[in-house]
Amino acid sequence: MRTWNRRKTMVFWTVFSLILLIAVAVAGSLCSEAARTTDFSRKNLMPCLQYPFGTDWMGRDMFARTLKGLSLSILIGTLAAVISACIALLLGIGAATLGKRADGLITWIIDLIMGIPHLLLLILICVAAGRGLKGVIIGVAFTHWTSLARLIRAEVLQLKESPYIRIAEKLGKSRWYIAKNHMMPHLVPQFVVGLVLMFPHAILHESSITFLGFGLTSEQPAIGIILAESMQYLVLGKWWLALFPGLALILVVVLFYLLGENLRRLIDPGSAHE
Amino acid sequence: MVTMTASSEPASGFDPAYGWGAGEHVHEPLIQSTLLVTNPDLSIGMDLATEYSVSEDGLTWTVKIRDDVKFTDGEPLTASDVAFTYNNCKENSAVNDFTMLDYAEAVDDTTVEFHMTTPFSPWPYTMAITGIVPEHAYDENYGMNPIGSGRYILKQWDQGQQIILEANPDYYGKEIKMKRVTILFMDEEASLAAAMAGEADVSYTASTFAEMVPDGYSLMAVQSVDNRGFNLPAVPAQEVDGLTVGNDVLSDVAVRRAINIGIDREEMIENVLGGYGTLAYSVCDQMPWYNEASEVAYDPEGAKALLEEAGWIAGEDGIREKDGVRASFTIMYHPSDSVRQALAEETANQLKEIGLEVTTEAAGWDVAYDKAQSQPLMWGWGAHSPMELYNIYHTAPDSELAEYSPYANETVDRYMDEALASSDLEESYELWQKAQYDGTTGVTQDGDIPWVWLCNVDHLYFVRDGLNVAEQKIHPHGHGWSIVNNVDQWEWTE
Repeated sequence: MRTWNRRKTMVFWTVFSLILLIAVAVAGSLCSEAARTTDFSRKNLMPCLQYPFGTDWMGRDMFARTLKGLSLSILIGTLAAVISACIALLLGIGAATLGKRADGLITWIIDLIMGIPHLLLLILICVAAGRGLKGVIIGVAFTHWTSLARLIRAEVLQLKESPYIRIAEKLGKSRWYIAKNHMMPHLVPQFVVGLVLMFPHAILHESSITFLGFGLTSEQPAIGIILAESMQYLVLGKWWLALFPGLALILVVVLFYLLGENLRRLIDPGSAHE
Repeated sequence: MVTMTASSEPASGFDPAYGWGAGEHVHEPLIQSTLLVTNPDLSIGMDLATEYSVSEDGLTWTVKIRDDVKFTDGEPLTASDVAFTYNNCKENSAVNDFTMLDYAEAVDDTTVEFHMTTPFSPWPYTMAITGIVPEHAYDENYGMNPIGSGRYILKQWDQGQQIILEANPDYYGKEIKMKRVTILFMDEEASLAAAMAGEADVSYTASTFAEMVPDGYSLMAVQSVDNRGFNLPAVPAQEVDGLTVGNDVLSDVAVRRAINIGIDREEMIENVLGGYGTLAYSVCDQMPWYNEASEVAYDPEGAKALLEEAGWIAGEDGIREKDGVRASFTIMYHPSDSVRQALAEETANQLKEIGLEVTTEAAGWDVAYDKAQSQPLMWGWGAHSPMELYNIYHTAPDSELAEYSPYANETVDRYMDEALASSDLEESYELWQKAQYDGTTGVTQDGDIPWVWLCNVDHLYFVRDGLNVAEQKIHPHGHGWSIVNNVDQWEWTE
């Protein structure tokens, strides 16, 4: 370990968090059945070896439920973040290249969406889109793209004026060629990092609106559902129902954040040599 | 000081025309008097009325009322107030069904006649929940500052928090022992906290909290007909106006019968309600119109045999199939009701034993009614009136099927129509019983069994030691006002 330089350590942590997240996602989808099975002969058990996170009032294994909930969150987060990032990419590039009017319109939309309280807009879109899995994904996807779109727009505007693009233009390269060979490579780091850093937001927001009752329905073991249900039992001293799933959610969010930050340092030219 | 669920607070005030007492959850209106009352055994007793009778054809009810009753503003209560109340309810009530009433008229100061559009034998039950309002002091704001002739006067109403009732000093009936009653509206946890802090004398609670009895309190479990059960759409699936009606698995009567005897109700009550409940076999257990033929024994082997016989053969994974149709269906429940969710889950567990695959799904009331046309929904019913049988099993007007879950049986319909037309309430009980099962057909195990009933949920309260809450009637659906139906007879024994 001591011989590792900072770059290697960073790569290690990146790979570590990535593997852990994938493991959680896979493990969660493997225990869908266990997460929903009720068995009243084992209800309200404290955490023990067999049920590390305890069981709830219907005898469901909280460990399986938490895993499944996290994997649901990761799935929703990934889908929503990817859609969101694609919207950001399209609109960002559009704003920068399609002329003044398009730029004005897109910037106005960005300002508009950023101006409305995040969670409120999310709830509105989610309910309008019919709640459930679909509603949450659409809701999260349509509210999270704004800052990344701004970033990409600024980047492209700057690139357009840079000497090598100018020269390429003068050499008669087509716009498509320039976009593909000169701009894209420059944008990829920003895009990827922006995408990964969107995950934690997406996951937290998914849990929030589900917790508030606007997201997934209560037969699905989402983290938001688990936390909302546990509220009722906290007063009865069943602390494990909220504590472990809550901690696990925070852990996943931190892992994603770690992943994103490390990625940024590794592939963003501005900080790659730190 | 009594706590109640937050939803017990009457949103549109204490006006019988807008559901006070006579809404979805029936109870005695306290502030107003009613013509009749229901006794603890659910027979009919008198309040304002001194006698009542119905004509041979069932179209005219004549009620004589007492002449010594005054509203709390000093004006006497006369037959014209009664007529006004009912005509007003008929015109304005959105919550309650007054369509069978044509009009009410005051014949003289103490006689009221109700002219019906159709014969309606359970009319006394309506007369037992409709509070009489004063004609001279009634306007659209009546619900906010009601004047009545009942046992209590509304002293104060802090919306969203509490109401304070004070005994009516001029009350004509039995002496009021409890002079002042405060009712707090709060959710379950707050109600528990109120008892813990010693603030409430009676505080409602749920079975999940039942073991946490605070010091100085004891747990009171009141038997109820607040039942839980689910509907089984009894016709094959078809499209009607863009809505799926019916279910291909549950339209087989053998499957419905197997479900009814494949459920271990005792274990369910133990598991889900912590033992605080009674077995339910019908929507009206222990009511005078209940038919004991509804009762069945838990018999998993019999259930399996029924399914085998009907051609539902277990596949490799243990789930039965017939002609390529998998014996699989979904039970819906309301997302914020943990008891209904647990009942649905437990039903799924138990039915798996006999080879039926049941999944559960949360559905809010906005979609549940439509979806219940094609898949089971965990319902709660239970009222002090046989009309509930009618609402559930009788075909709806302008439709060939019942309103809440597709089902139709001409014989059942006919018995209920006869029961309504009967001129004698006691006699009609027998017809209501025949509607449930007459020896050959009905809605029980040996009949069509279009609904399966699981349990009656006991209503639980923490009651401060030394408070005697008198004899409670079997509580109907709704964990709210029923407890204070007889609050005037409560007393402190220490």
